[in-house]
Amino acid sequence: MKITKFIASALVFLVFQSCTKEVDFNQLDDANINTTYNSTLVYLNLTAPKFLDQFNQEITETFDLIEAPISTDYKAYLEKLEFTIITKNGFNRTFRISIIFYDKYKQPIYELQPIINVPENSPEITTIVEIPKEDISVIYNTQYFGFHIFLTPSDDGSVITINDIATLNLKSSAKLYFNFRKI
Amino acid sequence: MRKLSFFIFLVCAIGYNQNKQVLYDFADLPQTLLLNPGAEVSQKFHFGMPLFSQISVQGGFTGFSTYDIFADNGIDINDKIKTAIDNFGKTEFVGFNQQLEVFSGGFRLPNSNYLSFGYYQEFDLLAKIPRDLVDLYYEGNTDLNRRYSSKKAAFRTELLGVLHVGLSKKINEKWNVGARAKIYSSVFNASSKSNSGSFYTEDGTQNIYRQHLDNINFLMQSSGIFFENDEEFNASYVKSKLLFGGNLGLGFDVGFTHHIKKQWEITGSILDLGFVNNTKNVRSYSLKGDYELEGLQLNFDPNNPEDYWTDLKEEFDNSIVLDTLYKSYISFRPVKLHGSVSYAFGQKYDDCRFLIGPDLYVNKIGFQWFSTVGVVHSFMAGTLFYERWINKYLQTKLTYTVDPYSFSNVGLGLSTTIGMFNMYFAADNLLSLNNIYDAKSASFQLGINFIFKDKN
Repeated sequence: MKITKFIASALVFLVFQSCTKEVDFNQLDDANINTTYNSTLVYLNLTAPKFLDQFNQEITETFDLIEAPISTDYKAYLEKLEFTIITKNGFNRTFRISIIFYDKYKQPIYELQPIINVPENSPEITTIVEIPKEDISVIYNTQYFGFHIFLTPSDDGSVITINDIATLNLKSSAKLYFNFRKI
Repeated sequence: MRKLSFFIFLVCAIGYNQNKQVLYDFADLPQTLLLNPGAEVSQKFHFGMPLFSQISVQGGFTGFSTYDIFADNGIDINDKIKTAIDNFGKTEFVGFNQQLEVFSGGFRLPNSNYLSFGYYQEFDLLAKIPRDLVDLYYEGNTDLNRRYSSKKAAFRTELLGVLHVGLSKKINEKWNVGARAKIYSSVFNASSKSNSGSFYTEDGTQNIYRQHLDNINFLMQSSGIFFENDEEFNASYVKSKLLFGGNLGLGFDVGFTHHIKKQWEITGSILDLGFVNNTKNVRSYSLKGDYELEGLQLNFDPNNPEDYWTDLKEEFDNSIVLDTLYKSYISFRPVKLHGSVSYAFGQKYDDCRFLIGPDLYVNKIGFQWFSTVGVVHSFMAGTLFYERWINKYLQTKLTYTVDPYSFSNVGLGLSTTIGMFNMYFAADNLLSLNNIYDAKSASFQLGINFIFKDKN
């Protein structure tokens, strides 16, 4: 009989004690998972011919365009976009690099600020450019990224020639800051 | 809705074990024959109440509990999520198993063998989640040179109907053996296992970073999930596939009961030695290759503008090859092994100290062992148990189990038989009853049978 009473008591204990402790599922509204991804982007190693026309005359601007459709899947979560751009200039000339976003009709819709200034004969310079939160939606309308390189006139009137062995280097990466609020 | 789905994920996706440690070898229930076809049963015949002879739900998640995240204890939920992620093991697994016995019955043959049969539906899900993938989602890839590996990522899921017939045969006073044949009819099956591959970022030479997809080798096989014709996944489709219109397979269970001495008993069984031949609505995806990217090199050649994006996509597609396969495949059921050793004691006497039923012992203690062996995941569990007749109508079983979910899993089984009417209930993780949200696994089985004993 003792064992029977013991089992009965154990059952009563198990059944009649509280089944839950306090939980609050509304906390999910405050949940934030902040995740950061690094992505490699474009790079370039431009030599003198890239700044000369067919007659080997210096040009003041050169340009390239990349088509890169941006997925809208994570639109609700992307909070900040930060570009790291490292430049190195062996030319005796100053360059200005402008990155412009174009829509599917190749119409410019946004210019990354500030325009990157690459001084003459400069070692590696790191520039960090951020797309502010209020502008971030523009990337979802972007179909093309344009890279414009402008040569500023030299102080002494010298120009780039075909025999110039210098290079202009650019490296870049993007840091994407997500906040996965809606788990 | 998102709260609901997250809650369902946490609570319903708890667990997987298929270890019915309370029900195993308990109270001569007909359902014990499904866990050991060589179990001894004493009835003349039985049948289960249709749809109610066994309802079984089991689940577990080894990572963290609902309470770990949602406890109303004044700690910021983000801190609790971080703690849960920090405590996440190298690989955690999540799963769910549900069975519904549609009908069952059995009767003693003239040669005293016991023939049992039935049909049940089973849904099974298991996923292994490697920490690397969790970290990649939670922290991102800013940790240079860290390899985020998908090697341990695997899953399987299936929904199937099982028609079975088994025979329990008493060879002599010491040995009872049994076997069961099963026909599987699968509604759907999907699995991915033996995957490999990693993603990592390192310092580049031409650019700031170089990113790698290294040794990617992923295969997912499926049947009954993607449809090639006008079929739709609805109730009538599921019903027709459960009732032998699906992908068919065969399986076997074998088991034994051996009385070493009068009060000592050992049992063992191997369940689901079987396969399903997946031939209908089969689609598999294979992903293989290596790829590295340092970035796009811009050439600034206006006379020959390059289509960088198309070139990149082509290079990626050529490096990481995605194949869609429509080839039949065989899926193996996870094999379950049970074993036990027990000692019965305490005979019952009437008021005049005459022995009631010389073979009947009131108490039984013992040890059970369970393991499941599958291509996706294998594990073991050990159980100590104590079984007792409370009175002639009520039998109980108390279990203590150590398994990958917990070192403190206490279970309880109750079986009551009044006349021919039998009802049973078994559940585990009772220590979590004081806070069910804190349980990492839970299971229960319940059912109603009509059992007819031999008048002799």
